[in-house]
Amino acid sequence: MDDDDYYYSQSSDDEDAGDDDDDDCYDDLFDDPLCDEDSSTNSYEYTVIEEKSLLTLQMEALQKVIEFLSLSESSARILLIHNRWDVTKILELFDRKGKEQLFLEAGLVLDDNNYNNNNDSSFSALSQITCNVCFDDFSKDEFSVMSCGHYYCNNCWTEHFIVKINNGASRRISCITPKCNAICDEAIVRKLVAKKSPDVVCRFDRFLLESYVEDNNKVKWCPSTPHCGNAICVEDDPCCEVECSCGLTFCFNCLLEAHSPCSCKMWELWSQKCKDESENINWIMVNTKPCPKCRKNVVKNGGCNHVRCICGQCFCWLCGNATGTAHTYDTIDSHSCGRYDDAKSKHIERAKRDLYRYTHYHNRYESHAKSLKEEINLYETIEGLINDSKSEDTHFKSFRWALDGLNQLKRAREVLSYSYPFAFYMFGRELFIDDMRPEESAMKKNLFEDQQQQLECQVENLSMHLGKSFDLLSDKELFETSQHVTNLSSIVNRLCKEMYKCIENDLLLPFRKNHPIATYMSNALRKKR
Amino acid sequence: MLDVSRVQKELAECNKDKAISGVSINLHGGDDLSHLEGTISGPVGTPYEGGTFRIDVRLPSGYPFEPPKMQFVTKVWHPNISSQNGAICLDILKDQWSPALTLKTALLSLQALLSAPEPDDPQDAVVAQQYLQNHPTFVATAQYWTEAFAKRTSVGIEEKVQKLVEMGFPEALVKSTLDSVNGDENMALEKLCSS
Repeated sequence: MDDDDYYYSQSSDDEDAGDDDDDDCYDDLFDDPLCDEDSSTNSYEYTVIEEKSLLTLQMEALQKVIEFLSLSESSARILLIHNRWDVTKILELFDRKGKEQLFLEAGLVLDDNNYNNNNDSSFSALSQITCNVCFDDFSKDEFSVMSCGHYYCNNCWTEHFIVKINNGASRRISCITPKCNAICDEAIVRKLVAKKSPDVVCRFDRFLLESYVEDNNKVKWCPSTPHCGNAICVEDDPCCEVECSCGLTFCFNCLLEAHSPCSCKMWELWSQKCKDESENINWIMVNTKPCPKCRKNVVKNGGCNHVRCICGQCFCWLCGNATGTAHTYDTIDSHSCGRYDDAKSKHIERAKRDLYRYTHYHNRYESHAKSLKEEINLYETIEGLINDSKSEDTHFKSFRWALDGLNQLKRAREVLSYSYPFAFYMFGRELFIDDMRPEESAMKKNLFEDQQQQLECQVENLSMHLGKSFDLLSDKELFETSQHVTNLSSIVNRLCKEMYKCIENDLLLPFRKNHPIATYMSNALRKKR
Repeated sequence: MLDVSRVQKELAECNKDKAISGVSINLHGGDDLSHLEGTISGPVGTPYEGGTFRIDVRLPSGYPFEPPKMQFVTKVWHPNISSQNGAICLDILKDQWSPALTLKTALLSLQALLSAPEPDDPQDAVVAQQYLQNHPTFVATAQYWTEAFAKRTSVGIEEKVQKLVEMGFPEALVKSTLDSVNGDENMALEKLCSS
């Protein structure tokens, strides 16, 4: 076993772990000794936004814009919603295009525009005004003027707002006037609607609050069902795997379960493939023939090529045509179909091969997923042991190592499991057939499978040690097991990292744009956040 | 709640200058203010010239804050109007509606739509395709449809009423039945016989 080197080189590290400070030591193990200068491991940051922090975050963004452009909260919000809550982009546009253009695009009216003029002349000079919506006359104080200078009676504004809010258009309620793109001031909306139906104001506020998630490229709702109410904010690369505080781990990019090292595209194809019956249909096509009389699919269970369907019809297995009953082992009475159809047999061969290939990958994908399910049961046992241990127990009796080992095992099982659909598409005919020469593909396949195999071997090893009945072991055996587990964990962690690196740098390099893959994170790193 | 006073004002306002504008609007029958019928005259210089097009108008309870629902009753051959059921594809009747628009402006927009079809945003794909690929045929078909469906003179109607009354149906019933099937003599007869 060529892995023995790692085993021994690590054990010196582990002796230090004998003293109580094992937490730090573990983090070191995960982060440092084996992962060399792989900075990408820690490259992405995300935060879980819980319901109560949504408002705070939103206010922070608003405050920045309010201060920088000295605007009202309402105007700042209009700008932010239009620019998808990207403060940096707003500041950049302000520099590049100027205030006027920035405001115009967002539907915001500059304060010094026609509003005041309008106010002075046509509007304020009159005492009785006709509203252009209901055609009724009112005194001036029954009217509201929007920032664009357009005025309508308060009743009509209110109705307009309520209809828009109920239609889910709260975040961009525009002025009543046709072709006027100005967005209505939220303070006026709130004031007028509150008089008529306070519950609609609640919905309005709710919509505005949720805009921080809905209209924001960096933030998405957690896809948990029932919904936990949380959202996740990712700073840089949207292709990453995140864990919500509700416990759900998911791919931020496609919102499906975390699936690295598969790309989102691969995962989508794979789930679809597993879901639909196409492979079964393939099997039926390859292994059965329809009876020429009743059209039931018949499978040949031995004997000669003269087949009798349960409906009583006899037919030739080779050509599928109905025949009489008289036959020998090599001939059917008055029937001959010996002409070879090349195209047809090629098609069948290919379907057979494809099916076999899919089954191969699917079996391994599933068996790792199944093992993972079994191993998760170990959590209970190990947590029990940890609870029973006393604080003065030595390291190996505290069983913290077992928990860490199990965390690593879980992570590695996931990686292994998803590495099979990855390989299925990486080296298959579906995605990259035209982009890679066959030799290149074969070479890459060898490289990848070597790594996969190494990882698989160590994972099984780790699983074996963690599956022991710890209570039956002597102190010496337990100590040795703890060392094995610790060493194997770090080896497995390193192998996972290497596999991701290999995928990123050697296998997917030319296709990375269409197939970005979330960076590998050990469980310890995931939990840290 | 439907803003009754606004609708009444709109009706009066619109019909004041219907000779000039070419659009009018009336109650569909009875006193239901939420069910109206508009007419527009086909714009001059188009295949619709000389025709009078009837439009079924239904006002939702949220009117004028929600758009009115309009549909051609008269069959018309136009890329943005369904040749099957008269459904109209026009932005101001959907998301671009504004409470400051009126039934009259909406009907005027329909009139404008007759003059300037937008085949890139079609309601009726068959018509739109013909409009783009075989324009002369489109014009001929539209003219024929105008002739056949939008130019029923009142004299014609009188003759039909006369004919049906002679068959032994009461005059009032004949008139309302003819009206309900858009003046189609055969359909009216069928309806009268089955009722």
